[in-house]
Amino acid sequence: MPEQCGRTFGEALLSGYLDGTLVQGDEQRVRLHLEDCESCRTLVDGLAAVKETIMTSTFDMPPDNEWSEGPSTGSSRVARGVGWPLVIGWAVLVCGYAVWEGWQESENLVERLILVGGVSGLGLLFLGVLLDRLKAMKTDPYREVQK
Amino acid sequence: MVESPGLATFAGDAGGSDQELVDQALAGRREATETLAQRHRQAAYLLALQLLGNRDDAMDVAQEAMLRFFASLGTFDRERRVQPWLFTIVRNQVRDLWRRRQRRPGDGLSEAGEALTRQLVDLTANPEADLRRRELKQRVWRALAALPAAKREIIVLRDFHDLSYSDIAQVLDIPIGTVMSRLHGARQQLRAQLQAGGRHA
Ligand SMILES: [Zn+2]
Repeated sequence: MPEQCGRTFGEALLSGYLDGTLVQGDEQRVRLHLEDCESCRTLVDGLAAVKETIMTSTFDMPPDNEWSEGPSTGSSRVARGVGWPLVIGWAVLVCGYAVWEGWQESENLVERLILVGGVSGLGLLFLGVLLDRLKAMKTDPYREVQK
Repeated sequence: MVESPGLATFAGDAGGSDQELVDQALAGRREATETLAQRHRQAAYLLALQLLGNRDDAMDVAQEAMLRFFASLGTFDRERRVQPWLFTIVRNQVRDLWRRRQRRPGDGLSEAGEALTRQLVDLTANPEADLRRRELKQRVWRALAALPAAKREIIVLRDFHDLSYSDIAQVLDIPIGTVMSRLHGARQQLRAQLQAGGRHA
């Protein structure tokens, strides 16, 4: 900006003028100045041309089928949310029944110990994984939108 | 290949405001979720593309942003608009990606600029006559890709996505009173870059 411009407002107002976001008084001040000042006019015209170029640009878009989980994402998360407890409930029932049957069938203490030890070990592993998943679900999805 | 239609309207958009659709989606209505996704995912992709330059990265970021968007629907503040909120998520995802790759936002910019200009589409019926306009677009987007991330973000949000100053303040997490001056500084730097580039060309 040349020294002799004589602008009485901050240069950033030229951007506000370009965007049409100035209050009436500021808008008028800028407009009046632009009538007299060629260098500011050149600047605004230059900025306007760049803005117009950006505004009218068009980009290649990915086709709809590239959105993998797509729009159904919300619903499928809900479905998975309901599905897992059902699967877990079923697994617990079946295993429980198997253990009960095994217990009835087995003759001696060693067989019973092997049965109980194996099943409770598996159960603990499963519980550990489950707790991790729950913790991740609780913290993960909300992380990005908290400010 | 599909070209970006006007961002606001889509064939098959069942209508209704974003807020109504959010309520319906929360009530479990699948069509509402689909309409919301179709209405906003292209803008999410474009913002990611313009910040990252790379098409595949942009798709990953946009997909993840949509997932997070729907996962956090329950905590969405009804006073806010959907787009700036989604853009906040996209921007955080983009910054996460830079961090994961141990890159600063300025690294690898010329590749990003080249990759980005390859995604530009020429919509004019008479490409010969508009050669100059096309070249100008390529120069502008290449120069944008070479700006520091904060400056690129604010210009893209305002001039391409047409966000209001208050929406910009929300997405970038800056005071609304600083938006105009930051925007002007960014535009000045872009213009200087273009002029310098023009002289070398
Ligand atoms: Zn002046």
